[in-house]
Amino acid sequence: MADLIQLLTNGLALGSVYALAAIGFVIVYSATGVVNFAAGQFVMLGTFAGVAMLLNAGLPMPVGYAAALIAMALFGALFYLVVYLPLRTSPVVTVIIGTVAIGITLQNAALLTFGSWPFRLPSPFEGMMIEVAGAVVSVHALAVVATTAVMIFLLWLLLHRTAIGIAMRAVAQDVKAARLMGLRVQWLLAFSWILGAVLAGVAGLMLGPMWFADVNMGDPIALKAFAATVIGGFGSLPGAIAGGLFVGLAEVLGASYISSAYKDLIAFGIMILFLLVRPQGIFGEPIQDRG
Amino acid sequence: MTILRAQGVTKRYGGLLALSEVDVAIEENEFVALIGPNGAGKSTLLNVLTGLTPPTAGTIELGGRSITKASTHARIRAGLGRTFQHGRLFDRLSVLENVMVGAANRPGRSEAQLESAARTSLERMGLGHLAPSRISSLSYGNRRMVELTRALAGEPRILLLDEPAAGLNSGEVEDLMTRLRAIRSEHRLAVVLIEHNMGMVMRLAERIVVLNFGRKIAEGTPAAVQADPAVLEAYLGAGSSYAAD
Amino acid sequence: MALRVLALAAYLAIGLALSVSVSEYTLRLLNLATISAVAVIGLNFAFGYAGLISLGHAAFMGLGAYILAILTTQAGWSPWLATLPAILGTGLAAVVIGVPLLRLKGHYLALATLGLNVSFGIVAANWIELTGGTNGIAKIPGLSLFGHAIEGERPFLWLSLAVVAVLAVLASFIQRSRYGRAMMAVRDDETAASMTGINVTATKVSAFALSAIYAAIAGCLFATHVHFISPDDFNFAHSITFLSMLIVGGEGTIAGAIIGAALLTFLPEWLRVLGESYLAFFGLMMLAILIFMPTGIVGLLSRFRRSAKREAPPAPASSGEGART
Repeated sequence: MADLIQLLTNGLALGSVYALAAIGFVIVYSATGVVNFAAGQFVMLGTFAGVAMLLNAGLPMPVGYAAALIAMALFGALFYLVVYLPLRTSPVVTVIIGTVAIGITLQNAALLTFGSWPFRLPSPFEGMMIEVAGAVVSVHALAVVATTAVMIFLLWLLLHRTAIGIAMRAVAQDVKAARLMGLRVQWLLAFSWILGAVLAGVAGLMLGPMWFADVNMGDPIALKAFAATVIGGFGSLPGAIAGGLFVGLAEVLGASYISSAYKDLIAFGIMILFLLVRPQGIFGEPIQDRG
Repeated sequence: MTILRAQGVTKRYGGLLALSEVDVAIEENEFVALIGPNGAGKSTLLNVLTGLTPPTAGTIELGGRSITKASTHARIRAGLGRTFQHGRLFDRLSVLENVMVGAANRPGRSEAQLESAARTSLERMGLGHLAPSRISSLSYGNRRMVELTRALAGEPRILLLDEPAAGLNSGEVEDLMTRLRAIRSEHRLAVVLIEHNMGMVMRLAERIVVLNFGRKIAEGTPAAVQADPAVLEAYLGAGSSYAAD
Repeated sequence: MALRVLALAAYLAIGLALSVSVSEYTLRLLNLATISAVAVIGLNFAFGYAGLISLGHAAFMGLGAYILAILTTQAGWSPWLATLPAILGTGLAAVVIGVPLLRLKGHYLALATLGLNVSFGIVAANWIELTGGTNGIAKIPGLSLFGHAIEGERPFLWLSLAVVAVLAVLASFIQRSRYGRAMMAVRDDETAASMTGINVTATKVSAFALSAIYAAIAGCLFATHVHFISPDDFNFAHSITFLSMLIVGGEGTIAGAIIGAALLTFLPEWLRVLGESYLAFFGLMMLAILIFMPTGIVGLLSRFRRSAKREAPPAPASSGEGART
């Protein structure tokens, strides 16, 4: 029982990170239609933004986190200008290859800047453990789940209670109609990229202390975020959350109870199964709540 | 002999009844027009006949054999042909290659035979000079004629035409009517024509089937249909712009 | 027709000239380029003609390579004999996978095939008794012809150049047959294709299987060239590379597949003069190519050719603007 609680906590924490990465991916996809294959590199950059601010620049934690997220917001804006705008009318395949190409650049730029030796990104709850129902779990893992819940709540407020969020949802549903309504579509699309990058940044900052900060961490995260997106329902925010949690739990529980070698096969097997049987994912109609 | 027979064809989309118990029988070598106001179910009927939309109820026979459950390509190979409302050609293939794709549904033809069959079809339609052209370079009228040629190259026993005159200028419409008459004298095939251009319908059709709100409300010779009070009320009354010109 | 014969002659002339004039290292790269070319000519069936976005092509290459490697090293088969089950088995696998999977379109199919490629890698890395796990399979025997072992980079290059030539000619015949036209028709408009009597599902599955067969041949060449394979040789990054090669060269064309394979094999090597940052620049260059040459090199060349024709005196009014050739 104690083992199970520990596993569930770790699974939910990992799943929260995947969920945030998937949400960032979905917000960009539903607003711009771009299948961003560099989404995993966004999370990697988030982790290394933390490394740069906390370890290299030695900033205190709240300031360092804020600085890292501001850097991610700027990166999102840059990505919008340099990658999205030139490719916005290209076919799906060209966009996939283009974002992969820029992902290679990001990964190697990080390699040049930070080297291949993995970093250990500190957590505000470094080494802290508490007992929950007889099981010892890390405070960081609980904080990750809590932070994700808060982020999702803030995102919901943004999308439903603010003018910019409501405008974003209008753009996601129908760009032409949104333009006719007088919305400044290009600004909203840029904001989607910024929001996506910031969410990936949060995911990266939370993941850093759980894994080692490694410049090659992007691809595995991207694959998990894709699996989460497909399982939850392409373009659906609740779907991204459910899918992310599911993939995280499947990974941690699968490794423990089934096979650590084949733990990743579970997520991809289920992803392919969903594509074949229910390609619209768990949350079938991704119309209402697209970011 | 009846070439195509649809019996009790019903198509329901949720609460909407797009087709209700429609019976249609097309005789060999017959020219039938299918008319009705917008939303009457004409295109739905064509989609059910060609297998793009499964019917909720009803049966379809082609040449005496049931094709109710057959796939679209199997129906085409069994002798059905169709063109679309907006002319759907394969943009990455040349005009000749488009027609060769149509000709390939008759089995056992070599590549050389396919090409000569396609060239012959194009010549007959007066489009021989367009054979090497790219689709993107064609005028709208020519696109529609090439699509018709592609359907004919498959040597159908019955050809379904979905508003072939839509978007054509009056000269092109005259040309289309001449071609359609020539096709019938050369090919021995039945034609089902969906058309809003009443002048064209009255001059070409031997028999007219009228749909309204998914039901067949009248059927008969052009003269009889024109005089049918139900048609006048439900159809001509609904939009006087459709009146014969 | 004349242009295609000319292109084939030019390809063989350039290949042979290079094979006797360049360094051992460049020969090795040329071998990798020709092996990739085989895979990319295959991918052109699935994507270039039938429009199926496959990010799992490297898995089929890997399946072919592993079947050959296992049969030769564990069952003692001769490599030539082992190519048969490698190629046919991979083609069969593509049919079995393709029937359910190819109902998906666009990025759904891309992600499904990507998941397939990742799953293949996981199995190859963990089914240790059969595949040797991450250590891979070593000591795969090389091919021999008329009693002569095809060893060393130069003789192997002659073989692989010949294989590319034969497979390119075959692909060209398929492209210009009813089967090739059916694939392109399906990509352009599935409904209209079915309305000309084309069996859309069968056409997609055959295009997918044909592409897998070419990938398996590339896998057999790879295994007998390098004599060693491991899961990393066939991970999903390679699938993306193959698709990049096809798009950079010019999708829908066989020449584009070959040019793209050669260019993207050599481009990173040429960029090595930039030092450690060469891969970062490679990514940027790829992005620039996609933005400024969306139809690839062959698309660009044929646009030049067409505009040159248009300037010539009897300008045909009907020459189109379509970018694909």
